[in-house]
Amino acid sequence: MQRGSVLLIAKHFWLNTFRSRAIFPVMGIMVFVLAYAAYSGWKSYTTHNDIRMHYQQEARKSWESNPDKHPHRMAHYGSFAFRLKHALSMFDFGLESFTGNAVFLEAHKQNTVNFSEASFSTGLLRFGEISMAMILQVILPLVIFFLGFVAVAVERENGTLKIILSQGTGWKEILIGKSLGLMGLVMLFFIPVILVMLVLLTTADGGLTADVWLRYAGIVACYLVFYVIISVITVLVSAVSSSSKDALIKLLAVWLFFFIVLPRTTQALGSYFYASPSKIEFEAAVEKELIQAGDSHNPDDPHFRHLKDSVLQAHQVSSVEQLPFNYSGFVMREGEKLSTHIYNDHLKELQQIYQKQNGITRIAAAVNPYIAIKNLSMTLSGTDFESYISFQGQAEEYRYRLAQKMNELQMELISNKKPGPDDKPHTISREHWKEFEDFKYKFTSIGTALRSEWWSIFSLVSWGVASVGGLVYLSKKVKSI
Amino acid sequence: MYSLIVKQFIRSKTVMVTTLLILILGVVSILIGDQFLAKQEKAIAEVTRHQQEHIARNVSWIDKEMGLLLYYLRFALINSPGNLTALSIGQRDVNSGIQNVTIRNLEGQRYDTDLYNPTSLQSGNLDFGFVIIYLFPLLVIAFTYDLLSEEKEKGTWRLVAIQSKSVRGYLLKKLSVRALLIFIALLLLFTFATVKLSLAINETLMAFAVLGFLYLVFWLALCFWVVSWQRNSSFNALTLLSVWVVLAILLPASVNNLVANLYPVPEALSTMVKQRDGYHEKWDMAKGPTMDKFFAHYPQFEKYTLPDDDFSWLWYYAMQQMGDDESRQQSEAMREKIMQREKASSTAALFMPTMHAQLLFNDLAGSSLENHMKFLDHTQAFHEKMRMYFYPKIFEGASVNGVDWQQFTPEYFSEKPEINWGQAVLPLLVFIAGFSILAAVNLKKIKVA
Repeated sequence: MQRGSVLLIAKHFWLNTFRSRAIFPVMGIMVFVLAYAAYSGWKSYTTHNDIRMHYQQEARKSWESNPDKHPHRMAHYGSFAFRLKHALSMFDFGLESFTGNAVFLEAHKQNTVNFSEASFSTGLLRFGEISMAMILQVILPLVIFFLGFVAVAVERENGTLKIILSQGTGWKEILIGKSLGLMGLVMLFFIPVILVMLVLLTTADGGLTADVWLRYAGIVACYLVFYVIISVITVLVSAVSSSSKDALIKLLAVWLFFFIVLPRTTQALGSYFYASPSKIEFEAAVEKELIQAGDSHNPDDPHFRHLKDSVLQAHQVSSVEQLPFNYSGFVMREGEKLSTHIYNDHLKELQQIYQKQNGITRIAAAVNPYIAIKNLSMTLSGTDFESYISFQGQAEEYRYRLAQKMNELQMELISNKKPGPDDKPHTISREHWKEFEDFKYKFTSIGTALRSEWWSIFSLVSWGVASVGGLVYLSKKVKSI
Repeated sequence: MYSLIVKQFIRSKTVMVTTLLILILGVVSILIGDQFLAKQEKAIAEVTRHQQEHIARNVSWIDKEMGLLLYYLRFALINSPGNLTALSIGQRDVNSGIQNVTIRNLEGQRYDTDLYNPTSLQSGNLDFGFVIIYLFPLLVIAFTYDLLSEEKEKGTWRLVAIQSKSVRGYLLKKLSVRALLIFIALLLLFTFATVKLSLAINETLMAFAVLGFLYLVFWLALCFWVVSWQRNSSFNALTLLSVWVVLAILLPASVNNLVANLYPVPEALSTMVKQRDGYHEKWDMAKGPTMDKFFAHYPQFEKYTLPDDDFSWLWYYAMQQMGDDESRQQSEAMREKIMQREKASSTAALFMPTMHAQLLFNDLAGSSLENHMKFLDHTQAFHEKMRMYFYPKIFEGASVNGVDWQQFTPEYFSEKPEINWGQAVLPLLVFIAGFSILAAVNLKKIKVA
C-alpha cells in the first residue's frame, strides 16, 4: 500500500468537501446544536443535583430535630432517598429522564421511586432529548452520510475515477484514503465535543476522579470505533453505487432503518414477548404470598403464634412481658425480615422481565452498531438501566436497615410493660436519631458497569473489524464503471 | 395524461415497496395500540377483583375498630382510557391511570408511579401517532423529492415542456397523484383502526383524522416548495431529510430541554418532605392545636370531643389531615409549575407542526399531561368524598358491620376532550398556504431549458 497516495486522497477529499461549501451550513447547525446540548446538559445536572442535595439535607435536618420518642414512631417517620446524577450524565442523559428521582423510605412498606422528568413532561419528551451523546450517536452519522455519499460515486460520475486508477493508485488506497478523509471531517465535530465535555466534567461535584477519567476515556474510544464503522460503510456504499444519488438514497434508507425504526421496533417486540405485570397484579402477588407466609397484622396468624410459643419456650417464660427484650419490637423485626424478603424476590423477578424485554434490543446490537454505541455510552455515563436498579437497591437496603435499627432499639430500650394510663409514654433519647447516618448514593464502578455491557463491546469491536475487513475485501471486487 | 402519470408512478418498485412498508408499520402500530388497551383493561379488571377481596378480608379481620380498618382500606379511582387512546398513547405509559388510595394523607399517595420499564419508555411507543408524525412525512419526501428533477435527470423534461399546455399544471398533476396514494394509505389505516379498535365515529375521531390529513398536506406543500427551487435530486433529498430531522427531532427535542430547564419542579420534592413533616411532627405536639386546626377545616366535626385516652382515631386522622393541609401550598405550586410547562409547550407548538400534531393527538386521545393533571384533581375530590363518608363513622365509633361494603367498587373518571377547531387547524393552514404561495411564485419563473 502506498501511504503517500492514501494521504493525498484523504487530503483531496477533505479539500473538495470544503470547496463545495455544502459543509458550512451543516457545520453551522451542528455547532449551534452541540453548544446547546452541552449547555442544557450542564444546566440540568447542576440544577437537579442542587435541588436534590438541598432536599436530602432538609429531610435529614427534620429527621435529626425529632425529639425523644418511641423508636417505632421514627421507623414510620422514615427518610428519603434522592437520586443524584452522575457527572457524565451531562454528556449522555440515558434513562435519567425516565427513572424516578425520589423515594420515601419507611417501615413495612416499599414505596415507588417518584417524580421522573417524564412524569412532568408534556409529551414532547417523545421526540427525544438533545444531549451531546444524542447528537454524536444519531445526528453525526447522518452528517457523515451527507458528507460522504459523494466520496467515490462522484469521481465515477466525473470520470476522474478511471484517471486515478490508471495512474497506478489501487482501490485499496482510494477506499482507505476516502475513509480517512471522512474520519478527519468527523474529528472536526468530535474533538471539540470531547474537549468541552472535559471542561464541564471539571466543574462536576467531586471533580475529575480516576473513575470519571476512565469512563471518559472509554467513551472517547467507543465513539472512535463507531465513527470508523460509519465512515467506512459510507465510503463502501458510495463505491458500490452506480451514481451519487443512488448512494445517497441507500445511505438515507440505512439511517432511517437502523437509527429510527429498528430500535423502537425491537423494544416493542421485547414488551410483546415478555409481558410485565401491572402494578396491582404485582402488589396482589406480594400481598398473597405475605399472607401465606405470615401476616404480623393478623391476630390469628399461625406463623406468628408459633414464633411466640417458641420464643417463650427458649427463654423459659410464660408470657411475653417476662421476656428480657421488647416483644413487639421483636415481632416487627421478624415481620420486616419476612416481608422485605418476599418483596425483594418479586422485585427481582420483575426486573428480570424488564431485562428480558431489553434483551431483544440488546441482541440487536449485533446487527445494529447504533444500539451498541447507545448502550455503551449510557453505561459509561452511569445513566443506564443497571445504574437505576442499583439506586433502587441501595435505597431499599437503607430502608431495611433503618426499620431494623428502630426495631432493635425498641427491643433493647423499650420496656416490655405497656405504660399505664397515668405513666409517661415510652421514649428513647433523640441522640439515637443522629447516630443513624443519612442515605448516601454510591455510583456503580466502571468495572461492574462494563461487565453488564460485554455484548455491546463485542458487537462494536466486531463491527469495527468487519467494516475494515469489508473494505479490504471490496477493494479487490469493485469495478471502476 | 392523468392515467399515464398514474401508471408511470405506481409502476415504480420503490413506490410499491415504501407504500407497503408504511401500511405494515401502520397496522403494527394500531395492533400495538390495541395491545395497550388490552393491558389497561386487564389491569382494571384486576383492580376491581382485588378491591373486593381486599375489603372483604380486612373487614373480616378488623371487625371492631372502624378507625383501624380505614387505616388499611384502599379505594380505586380509574382514569379509563378511551379506545382512541390506542392511536396516541402519549403520557399514558408514564402516568398511571389507576389510583388506589387510603383515606389517610393524600399527598403521600397520589404521585405514586406505575411500574414500568424505563428503557421501553425511552424508546417510545410505536403508536399510530408516531407513524403519522414521523413516518408518513418520509413517505411524502420519498414520493416528491425528484418530482421535477427526475425529468431533468432522465432528459424527459424538455419533452414534457413542449407537449403539455402548462408545466405548472403538469407538476401539480404529478403531485396530486402522489398525494392521492398517500391519502389512500392514510385512509386505509384509519379505516382499519376504526374497525379493529371499534372507534366511535364522532367529532373527536374526525378531528384526529382531519389533523392527520392536514399535517400531511403541510408536508406536501413544504416538499413542493423545495421542488420548486428546481435543484437536482440529491440536493432535494438532502434538504428535505434535513428539514425532517430539524422538525421531527431537533426542534421538538430542543424545546423539551428548554421547558425542562426553564421550569424545574423542586416543588414536587418539597411537597414530599412537607407532607411527611406536617403529619409526623403532630405526634410530638400537644393535641389541642392540631384539633383546633382540624375543626377549623371541618367545623361540622366540632361536635366530636377528644377522649381522654392517649390515642384516639379522631386525633390520628386529624394528624393525617395536617399532612395534606400543610403541604397544600407546595402541592399547588407544583401543579402551577406543571401547567406552566403545558402552556409553554403548546405555545411553542403553534410554530412547529410536528409538535402541534403530537400535542393535539394526545389531547384528543386523552393521553396528555393535562388529562393526567385533571385526573389528579379528580383523585383529590374522590379522596375527599371517601373521607367525608368515613370520618363521621370513625369518630362515632360506628360498627363495621353497619356499612354496606359491597358498594365500594372502583370509580371511574373520564374526560371528554374539548375541540377547539380554530386553534387546531389554523397553524397548519397558515403553513400550508405559505408554502403553496412560495412554490407558486417560484414556478411562475420556471425555465424549461
